[in-house]
Amino acid sequence: MDFALVIQTALNGLANGALYAVIAAGFVLVYRATSVVNFAIAEFMLIGAYLTYTMSLFFPLLLAILLALPLAFLFGVLVERGFVRPLLGRNVVAVIMATIGLASTLDGTALILWGPDQKAMGAADVAQLPKEVPNLAFSLGGVFLSSKAVWSLLLALPLALLLVGGLKYSRYGVLLRAVSESETAALAMGINAPRVVAIAWGISAVMATVGGAFLAGAAGGGGPGHHLVLLGLIVFPVAILGGFDSVPGAVVAGLLIGLIEAFSQLYLESLLPGITQAIPFLIVLLVLLFRPYGLLGQHRIERV
Amino acid sequence: MAEINVENLKVVYRGVILALQGVSLRAGAGEAIALLGPNGAGKSTLVRALSGLLPQYDGRVLDGKIVVNGQEANHLPALKVAELGLTAILEGRPIFRYLTVLENLRAAAHKLTPQRQKEITDEIFTRFPRLYERRFEQGGYLSGGEQQMLLLGMALLTEPRILVVDEPSLGLSPKLTEEVMRVLNELRRDKGLTLVLVEQNARAAFAIVERVYVMEQGRVVFEGTAQEAQADADVMEFYLGGAVAGGFAEAKRYRRRKRWV
Repeated sequence: MDFALVIQTALNGLANGALYAVIAAGFVLVYRATSVVNFAIAEFMLIGAYLTYTMSLFFPLLLAILLALPLAFLFGVLVERGFVRPLLGRNVVAVIMATIGLASTLDGTALILWGPDQKAMGAADVAQLPKEVPNLAFSLGGVFLSSKAVWSLLLALPLALLLVGGLKYSRYGVLLRAVSESETAALAMGINAPRVVAIAWGISAVMATVGGAFLAGAAGGGGPGHHLVLLGLIVFPVAILGGFDSVPGAVVAGLLIGLIEAFSQLYLESLLPGITQAIPFLIVLLVLLFRPYGLLGQHRIERV
Repeated sequence: MAEINVENLKVVYRGVILALQGVSLRAGAGEAIALLGPNGAGKSTLVRALSGLLPQYDGRVLDGKIVVNGQEANHLPALKVAELGLTAILEGRPIFRYLTVLENLRAAAHKLTPQRQKEITDEIFTRFPRLYERRFEQGGYLSGGEQQMLLLGMALLTEPRILVVDEPSLGLSPKLTEEVMRVLNELRRDKGLTLVLVEQNARAAFAIVERVYVMEQGRVVFEGTAQEAQADADVMEFYLGGAVAGGFAEAKRYRRRKRWV
């Protein structure tokens, strides 16, 4: 066994997994805050990636990503205020159908605004600006790691962990967990529940933007396009494996699925072509059958 | 000082269910009043109306006036009502069950400076040592009495001037009920709070309030001091199971027959 290859595969898997983790953590955050399953999460990635692309036409790419984040936050808040809040308290199926409708609407909007073709990420029209973020690719002892993988590990993973820590220890995290249990009880204690929920949607959009921008190739390899919508589907198996209502669970599951995908690509793909894309969804089936709470899902408190 | 005035309040749920049919009551600054009444009398609806939470239950004020601390609050949202200094402890002990005791307190203290939060939290732990012992445990695992204490602690952290408490004795043993009432009375005295106590346990309520309102079917059917309520044969029959001949079954029949409205 080539240990350098195994380590390289593991690091690449973790790098991709970090992107899954960051997107899924934002997705779960919204579910925790509002009990809404955001079927438009892939479109959040898409919009985030296109916002990054648009910014990159005017600014260096690293700065473009940073500038896209507040816009993405605003986008998330607007979606919550204009679309989700009026639906809260309605029938669950109605809300699900509405978020599926939102996904189609956002898809169409992206198509109108940015066109159907895949864009090249980076300031292609402005010769003076760097087209990519600084190249951090390195090779050490036979282990090669691409710039995209290093950037993913450097940005997405800390961001996901920051969200986990913030949710557990920060004042906003405590308020969000309180609101997620009972908005009415929170309001009775003077907690501004609507604002807490809107911020959760904003954060989710920011996380999706980071994941979307890097999956779309902000650090090399391709650019934003509608293929992101298919990539975004990975959020669902990650969230289910993590426990669906657990942000730490989503992070662990994201990394795990990234690793499994990478090793499947290395060892199984040649034997069973296409298996790598199917594996996350096979995992979902097994999880739902044998461990419905997922890895770290919240167990109901029952006093006896 | 704080006070509540409710005049001819009518509340409707889902546009069709008239839950309050013209309720008027008043709580002067620093005064404690009790709202008594059977299930379905409209007590909890009144609590929701006072605290601005009716929209959460698909309800709205149809007519009448609510004045909290001198400001009209008929259609104010819950957050604005809270800013007027009114904190409501809703029925069913609505703590945050998955948050620890400390996190529950921290959530309620969201507007305070860290220094002020620490001062009040220390005071809460002094008043309720049991909460200190269980401070790292999730609220859902506390006993009913401990959860009620936690709610009172959380309410203190909002620094209220008016405290509205809905059925604090629900599901508690007589001894615990007595303890909760004692604490409520202490808090009211020490903080100069105006207290609106919603109860079915009339005996417990009489011990700490000055005035009593009895509600039935969305109306106030009795108003008087605690002494007057205790001297009123109807109130005593209805709430304390007075001398109705024929045992429990006869008493129930008597109560069904004897309606206030």
